[in-house]
This record gives sequence, structure tokens and C-alpha cells, in this order.
Amino acid sequence: MLTYDVLIVGSGGAGLYAALKSRIEEDLQVAVLTKVYPTRSHTSAAQGGVNAALANKDSTDTWEQHWFDTVKGSDYLADQEAAELMCREAPEVIREMEHWGCPFDRTKAGKIAQRPFGGASKPRACYAEDKIGHVMLHTLYEQGLRHGVNYFNEWVTLSLIHNGQRCLGVNALNTRTGQLHTIQAKAVILATGGYGRVYWNRTSNAYGNTGDGAALAYRAGLPLKDMEFVQFHPTGLRRTGILMSEGARGEGAYLLNALGERFMSRYAPDKMELAPRDLISRAIETEVREGRGGPDAEVFLDLTHLGMERILQRLPQIRQLCIGFEGIDPIEEPIPIKPTAHYSMGGIHTDINGLSPIEGIYAAGESGCVSVHGANRLGGNSLLDILVFGRRAGNHALEYARQNDFQPMITNPLATAEARIQKLMDGESQERTADIRREMGNLMAEKAGIYRVAADLKQAVAGLAELKVRFKRLKVRDKSKIFNTELVAALELENMLDVAEVISQGALERVESRGAHYREDFPKRDDKNWLKHTMATKGSDDRPILDFKPVTISRFQPEERTY
Amino acid sequence: MIDLNDGNMHYAFYSGCCFQGADARFFEILGDVFDKVDVKLHIIAEAVCCGAGVIEERSELTSLSINARNMAAAEKMGLPFYTPCSTCFNVISNVQKRLREDTQLFDQVNEILAVDNIEYKGECKITHTLWMLAQDVGLQKLAERVTHPLNGLRVASYYGCHTRNPSDIQNYESSDNPTSLEDILKVLGVDIVDYDTRDECCGYHLTWPNNELSMKMTGSVLQGAQKQDVDLMVTSCPLCFKNLDGVQPKALAATGQDFRLPVLFLPELVGLACGMSPKEMKLDWHTVPVQVRL
Amino acid sequence: MSEKIIPTREKILANIRIQRFTPDKDRTPYFDNFKVEVETGMTVLEALRLIKNQQDSSLTFRAFCRSAICGSCTVRVNADPVLACSTQLLPIIKDFGKASVTITPMSNLPILRDLVVDIDPVIEKLAKMHPYLMKNKERIPKTLEQESLMSQKELTQFGQLTDCILCGACFSTCSAVKVDKTYAGPLSFAKAYRFSIDPRDSFRGMRIQASMDQGLWSCVQCRKCIKVCPKDIRPADSIRDMRRIAIDDGIHDTPGSRRAKAYTDDVEKFGQVNKPMLPVIVNGTKGWAAIEAAEVGLKKHGLEVTRQVCKLPGQSGSAKVYSKIREIEKKGK
Repeated sequence: MLTYDVLIVGSGGAGLYAALKSRIEEDLQVAVLTKVYPTRSHTSAAQGGVNAALANKDSTDTWEQHWFDTVKGSDYLADQEAAELMCREAPEVIREMEHWGCPFDRTKAGKIAQRPFGGASKPRACYAEDKIGHVMLHTLYEQGLRHGVNYFNEWVTLSLIHNGQRCLGVNALNTRTGQLHTIQAKAVILATGGYGRVYWNRTSNAYGNTGDGAALAYRAGLPLKDMEFVQFHPTGLRRTGILMSEGARGEGAYLLNALGERFMSRYAPDKMELAPRDLISRAIETEVREGRGGPDAEVFLDLTHLGMERILQRLPQIRQLCIGFEGIDPIEEPIPIKPTAHYSMGGIHTDINGLSPIEGIYAAGESGCVSVHGANRLGGNSLLDILVFGRRAGNHALEYARQNDFQPMITNPLATAEARIQKLMDGESQERTADIRREMGNLMAEKAGIYRVAADLKQAVAGLAELKVRFKRLKVRDKSKIFNTELVAALELENMLDVAEVISQGALERVESRGAHYREDFPKRDDKNWLKHTMATKGSDDRPILDFKPVTISRFQPEERTY
Repeated sequence: MIDLNDGNMHYAFYSGCCFQGADARFFEILGDVFDKVDVKLHIIAEAVCCGAGVIEERSELTSLSINARNMAAAEKMGLPFYTPCSTCFNVISNVQKRLREDTQLFDQVNEILAVDNIEYKGECKITHTLWMLAQDVGLQKLAERVTHPLNGLRVASYYGCHTRNPSDIQNYESSDNPTSLEDILKVLGVDIVDYDTRDECCGYHLTWPNNELSMKMTGSVLQGAQKQDVDLMVTSCPLCFKNLDGVQPKALAATGQDFRLPVLFLPELVGLACGMSPKEMKLDWHTVPVQVRL
Repeated sequence: MSEKIIPTREKILANIRIQRFTPDKDRTPYFDNFKVEVETGMTVLEALRLIKNQQDSSLTFRAFCRSAICGSCTVRVNADPVLACSTQLLPIIKDFGKASVTITPMSNLPILRDLVVDIDPVIEKLAKMHPYLMKNKERIPKTLEQESLMSQKELTQFGQLTDCILCGACFSTCSAVKVDKTYAGPLSFAKAYRFSIDPRDSFRGMRIQASMDQGLWSCVQCRKCIKVCPKDIRPADSIRDMRRIAIDDGIHDTPGSRRAKAYTDDVEKFGQVNKPMLPVIVNGTKGWAAIEAAEVGLKKHGLEVTRQVCKLPGQSGSAKVYSKIREIEKKGK
């Protein structure tokens, strides 16, 4: 049996930081298990920046202001102690990244450059052109190579193994050979990213952001927290959901419906295209619902009036994205866009060290929920979250693994994993992964997406139950053991169906509007009844059981969130 | 003075270093072949070697400056810059692109060139045999001048790398799917044969630092063409010609093969089709004997 | 007045020809043909996914971010390696002038299945280059209380190289890798150079050694890697740069270093390279055999034999440029 002191599942920023921290003194055996190659992870897609009150650009910035911005941005659902810790530690983790060679852009004085970001009271987003996530991920990978972190690339984790108190390890599928393996570990850190793909084609997320960690934890009896909070970005490309950044609207782009009307005049006559993200997303949804969308239920981001010169000079990246991914040139025609699921605020419930209720099992980054983002994440805080809590989880797991011995493995740990795969291979119907997946995405986008209302959410819950029944009869047609991507897709779909169910149930029960969660039937925030986290565990009937946990408020009393 | 209105097309001629040794005959041959299509070449007297990119391994600024100077000399002549050598084309086009994109560098290079009282304006149009024939002369005129069409000849066409890579050095045609060479060859009447090593590198630029690899590359390219049972290969690059013909026996020996495949430099085939004799072209100077059925 | 928006959406029925190979089933790779309605905006990856979802679920390829930043989905389309996710199909169909597109796996790497290759050889070679920052204690503070200082100008020297996404396109197309399996491949040198000129780093000497061990002078400068790189990092230029810092740091005793010196010096002295003598200049006394063989050939055609090149008329002007540059470079140091 493969045996590691610390095993990390997932190779994004949180996973690689955790791996590096637990291996930094090179006394423990550390491995990263990843369904891709480490540098493929979705952290690389982050473009804008990572927040830290370094005060390099504005000397009056402080971590306390960052803390306040974070709590306010969260619509007061963040745990304030956790948010405090993140903002306090931010400058240190950024400097650590910098000392490892991360190529941040520089100020005239040679320090790390910082730029303003939405929702931030001071310019504190550290950046590297428009590729900060990419350079951070590569820096962590490089240092991991240096320190001898082991990588299991293209292995899919199937289940967590624990004995009710302590972590024992995981079961995983080596996709190259089709073999199943149990890997024994004192500590397992889940760092598998978000679950935006439950909205399937309506997301800016990578194909693999299928909520794997959340589903693994959920099936292992661990609670998921605040899963109903999913941030939508208003301007994703029609075909792929790839983001058109706010930069375009900042330069003066218009939002037009299919009739060519600047429809924001109906929703935000003063701010127009520069209104907050959630408001624009809802405005677009309304236009489409009322029949003023394009042939593919899209609206248009129009740059044509800016002229060729300005587009080439100020928005070259956006233009390239349109040409490469949509096949149109925004100099000549408006860009077709749709709101797109962007970030998962919810995740596996942990404490401030990333520790779950089971000793030795941790979660970090977008797959975890400490919670620092509450109901709505602030721009530049997602990368910070993965650094701070990846690092904390790594440090904590390191100490735990040093001080504890391996626990005895349960007998025949692979049995259920083997049975699960066999069942998928032998499926009794002609159901296909691609069909169920597409229907799930559509259902979630239409019934549990930007606009939510009790009747729709009930339909979502019922629809998902049906899809789960269909999934049970699904058949993987590809019979090869080698690199069976159809099998992997089926496993991912199973994860997403569980996650989608928790999202819908949470959204149905939360009868208020807060941050990214907007209930048409309850449009106001309700602090009296709902200033609390949703905790979901898996019931014996395979349905989520919801419980609620108070929010930690240490300094800032909730007030109305206006910008 | 050059009479630009004499019915001919005029070019500033940058020969590069490829026509040395036995290839020195190409100076005359190029002149004779281009006469057939009303093209006149005028040597750029002030030119020096482009450095083949190798000078950049010591000093990029030197490469930029001497090649800006080469182009400036052509600009002074008021003629488009023509080179038959693909590497010269590549290096000099790349310098042009770099200097157009970076105005600071452009200014710095011109400050340097001031010591020689010459200014690079960045206007110089750079071209190569491929596009001079296919676009400037044009396929129609070329067809009119073909007196001895080479019908039935099975030919493997070979561009080499330096007129193709990277795609941003030229605006003449698709770099992924260039057709100028085949377009010209079709006009000469030959049958073009597809083969799977057409896009591989001949290895010429490893001749000195790693001859073993160079020979393997040459051998591989030849083998791909040979497999298709072609009569000959034609290349538009004189450096590729040096490897494919000049050291063919060595390259084939190094890759464990035993055949001989005649290779022609594009202007040679154009000359033949336009009525020049193998003797006039000194085809007997080739390493691999050329027997063309005319 | 607002005007109704009618988006342009073209459609062509195309044949997508894909190389297949499943090792536990097939003895050799073969091709399958799929009919796909290609429309405006459709990428190669979208076509592959469409085929997998609707026509053949066993079709195997990698894809992850589908936004050209993760580097998973490199395949060859009509022989050129590209990121499937950011490559539009319609323009390719138009460029090649036929409604058929051929998709094959990357070359120079072992095929695992269909379009999936084993990229471990790339990573193993990269790992030998010490591809990570080793702290320069003079530039990086001891504690995390402070950042190290680095100017934007210093960053710009290597900034573009940090765009590399390890997609392997350059490795797939590399002429030297094709004939020498020990050669590091373009991206490894680019990465080695990126760290070697980072002022916060202290490991340049080790990387120069590692580069030489992995064939620094085996790059033929075919420039294909520059063409195929989806991030425009220009690996072949980095290889020239890596050679330059190796020479600057005292690596004079290799054929490649000697060639670089000969070209640079000869062009100054003569306006051209003394080609007749290059074999000896580059390879020492071993080179005489090549020179003598060449001379036999010249005599056969009745040509004059010479071991000296003449000064070109342009030499004097160019030499002035050389001395001016020497002055500038001296000042720079």
C-alpha cells in the first residue's frame, strides 16, 4: 500500500502551498494527488490580483480596512475572526511568494505593485499583468519540485477513509492504468477547488471544477457549509462562459439587448454598465426572460463605438479572447455574452486551520469554507484565501503528522470503490453522462441560478432527484482501462449531483436575499433570522439534512451593503 | 542610375554568404534566370553578412544594428530588398519587426548608425525568391516564359524553415499552409508529390556545433521524399540545398540509407523550364548527379 | 435609435479526421472520420467534445481550463501543434481550402491513448534545469517582514517567459528533439533562462551547466517553437540568450561558443564569415579533413582554392557600428 505522512488532494494554489509547507523541512513524505497535472489547475485562470494591505501604493492602507472590506463584501456572513486572520496574514504570505520568485509587477520603488479593485477601499490587489493566478501556481509548483514533493498526476480520488475520529487515507483511481489504489495517510488535505460546473455550460470555471472535494467530504459524513452561495459574473462569452473582464465596461462598452437597446437604463439609470456585478447579472436575466435576448439567450457587450484604435490599444486581450474563443472580432461586431457562474463561496466546513471535524482531514481554498467570503467574495480575495489557508492547513497537518502515528487501516478499504466503478461500467440502461450532465446544468441555471424563487427551487430539488435516479442506471460505454475519460466524467457527474442537491436545498430553505443568493420572493436581507451559516450533512436517505450555525461577529455590526 | 521604367522589375540584391565555393555559380545563374522573367538585381554594395542569428549569441544589439544598416543601404537605393537566402530573410525580417515594434530600440539603433552616416527608416520591403516569382513577377508571366515545361516530372517541394517560422516574419502567405512554391512548380509543369517530411528541418544550422544531429535531420528529410519515389526534390532555400545535395552521401550514410536523390535549387528548375540548358546551369557541379528528362 | 443585432453565424459541414489508438485494443494507430457542423466560434476543443458527447464517448483527449491558460489540450491540427481550446475551426478550414481537418496527438512523445500523450519526458527534462528560484541572499531579505526589491525593468527582462504554460507545443514541434531524445527541448531552456536572469536568484552557474548537459548548442534555430508557442514566449530566442550568458560567464570552449565568436569577429573584420576556415575554427585540428575535402571539390570544377576571405566593401562602415556598440556595451557594464 502507498503510504504518505501528508496527502494533498488537488494541485491548485491551496494544494501546492499546503504540500510545500508540509514538505519544506523535507522530513515528511508528502504527495499531491491530482486528476490533472499540477500546473493545469484552475488557479492559473485567475487574472486580476491578490489582496494584501502592503500599503505599497497607498501608504494609509491597513489590514483592518481590508478586514472591513471583506466582511462588508461578504454581506456580513463571513466569520469575522477568520476574515481577520486572513487579512492580517496576507502581507506575509505575499512576501513569502515573492521570496520564492513569484514575478509580481513592481512599483517605481521596486516594491510589489498594487491596483484598485471593486469593493476595496484602497488599491491593494497585487498583480502580474493579467496572469497573477498563473504565475502563483507555477511558483508553487517550481518550489515543490525543488523540495521533493511527490506528484500523482491524473489520479482521481474516489473516497476518503476515516474511522470516525481520525483520517486513514483515500481510495483513488490511476487513470493511466485503470487500477484502484488505497493510499494510507496520516493527514489528507482536500484542495479540489470549486463547484461552478454544476451549472455546466453556464460557468467561467474549468471543466474539472466539479465539487469533487465537497462531494468526497459529504459522502464521508462531513458537513458542507453555505453551499447555496454561488457568485455569478455578468459577462461570460456565449459559447464557453469565459470571462470578459470588467475592464471592457470600464473603457465604455455598452450592454445591448437583441433590439440594440442599452437596457441598463431600465435597471441602473445612473451607473448604467458600471453597476455592481449581481445587479447586471439580474438585469441580463430579465432581458432574456422577457424575450429581448439573442438567438442563444444572450445579450451583447458592444465595443464597436470605441473604434479600432482604442480597442487595439486598451483592450487587446479582450479582443484576442473574442477572436480565439468566440470567432468574432469586437472591432466589427458586438460580443455575445451571458452571465456565468464564477465562484463557489460555500465548501467543506473547517476551522481556521482548515481542519474538518475529523482529525487529520483538512480542506483549503475554494473547496473549503472557513468562512471568509460569506455570501459574496470580494475580488482579489480568492487567491488570498488559497494562500493563507493552504499554508495554514499545510503547517497544521505537518505538526499533526509529526506527532501522530499511522492508524490501522480498515479491512478491505477498496471494496466500495471497486463496486462503484463496476456498477458504472455495467449500467443497466442506455443513459449517458453527457445528457444527464447537460440537463443538470440547465436545471440549475434556470431554477437555482441568478434568480431564485421557492417554486423554481422545489422544481430543482425534484429534478435533481430524478436525475440521480437516472444516474444510478447510467452506463459507461468506453470499456478500456486506459485513460477512460468517460468513466472520469461519470464520477464527476456523481459528485456534481450531490453538490447541486445541497445547493438547491440550501437556496430553498434560506428565505432571504444575501450577497450572491437572490430570492425574488424574499428580496431583503434578514439578519434577525438568517445571519447564520447553512450546514448540510448527508442523511441516511441520501438527502441533505440542513442545520444552521451562528456567524462569528467580533467587530463589525451588520449594516446595509451599499457601494 | 537605374531606369525604373525600363519594363523590368528592379531589386536591391542581398546575396548573403551562401553562394560560396561551388555555389558561386549561382551569382550568374540567378542573373540569367531572372532575365527570363524581366527581373534585374542590383547588388547592395554596402552590405555585410547578416550574422545568421549567431551574432545574437554574443550581442543582440550588434545583430540589430548591422542588419538595420543592411536594410538602410537598400532603402538608399530606393528598391525592395531581395535575398535568395532564407536565413538572411529570416534574420533581417525579424530585425525589421523588432525595430518596428520597439521605438526606443529603433531610436537607439539609429543613433548607432549615425557613426556611419546612414539612417534606417523602417520602410524597406523585404522579399524572397518565392514571393518575387509567385507575386511580383506573377504566375501568369512566369507561365508565358516557360518554353520547356517539365511535364511528368515527380517533384517533392521543400521550403525549409526560415521563410515560414515564425509566422510573423512575413505577410505574404499562410505560414501553416504555404503554397507559393507549389504554385510556381505547377506553372513549370511538374507533378507535385506529397511526402511526410516536407515540414521537417534540414539541419543546416547544426553543421558546425553538432554535425551528427545535422546529418540525421538531413537524412530524415531525404528519406521521406525518397519513399514517395520522386524524381527530384526542389528547395527554395540555398542553405537547405547545401545540406540536401552537398552532403547528401554523408547524411544518408549517417542514417543508414543507400540511395541518391537529385536536389535542385528552385531557380535552377525555373531556368530549365525557361529554356536554359543543364550545361549553362552547371548542373554537373551538383554532388548528386541530376538527369532531367527534358 | 437602436438597431436590431443580427449576429453573423456561418455553418459548414466538415469532416474531422482523428487519429485513434487504444493500447489495450489496437495494435497501431488508425484514423476515424466524424461529420461535424462547424459554426462561427467553434473551437477544435468544442468539436472534440461534441463528438465525444454525441458520437463516440470513447474518444480520448485532455482538456481542462478551455481558456488557454492550463496547457492541457495541445493537439496537432493539420500537423501544427495548437491549443485545441483557443483554435477556431472555420479559419483553418478556409486556410487549407477544404472542409476536412486532421487532428493527431503531439509528436516527439509517446501516445497513451488517442490524442493523449505522455508528457512526463518534458517535465523530467525541465526538472533537471533547476527550474525554481534559489535565493540570492543579497537581494532577498532574511525574514518575511520585507519584500525584496526589484525594478520593473529587471522584471521585464524575463516577464514574458513566465507566461509559459508547459503545454508542450514547442517540444512537439522541435527539430532537435526529434533526432536526439536526450535534448532538453525548447521550454526547458526558456525556463532555465528565466531564472538565470532573475536578480533574486543565485543558481545561474548550475543552470548553465545543466543546459550544456542537455544540449544547449543542439538547437538548430529552425524557429518552429516560436511559431507554435501559444503564449509567444519565443523559446528559440531564449536559447540564443542562454548561449549568450553561458559565453559571458566564461564558456568559450565549445564548438558553439567558438562559432559565435568566429561569426561576430569575422563580420567585423571582413564583413563576412571566413567560411573556408570555419571547420578548424570551430572544431580545431579535426576540422582540417573537412577543409581538404572541400578543396578537392573546388579543384575538380577548376575553381581557385583559398583559405582567406576578402574584405567586403561594406566592412569599413560596419566596423564603425561595431566600435560604437562596444563603447555602449562597455558603458552598460
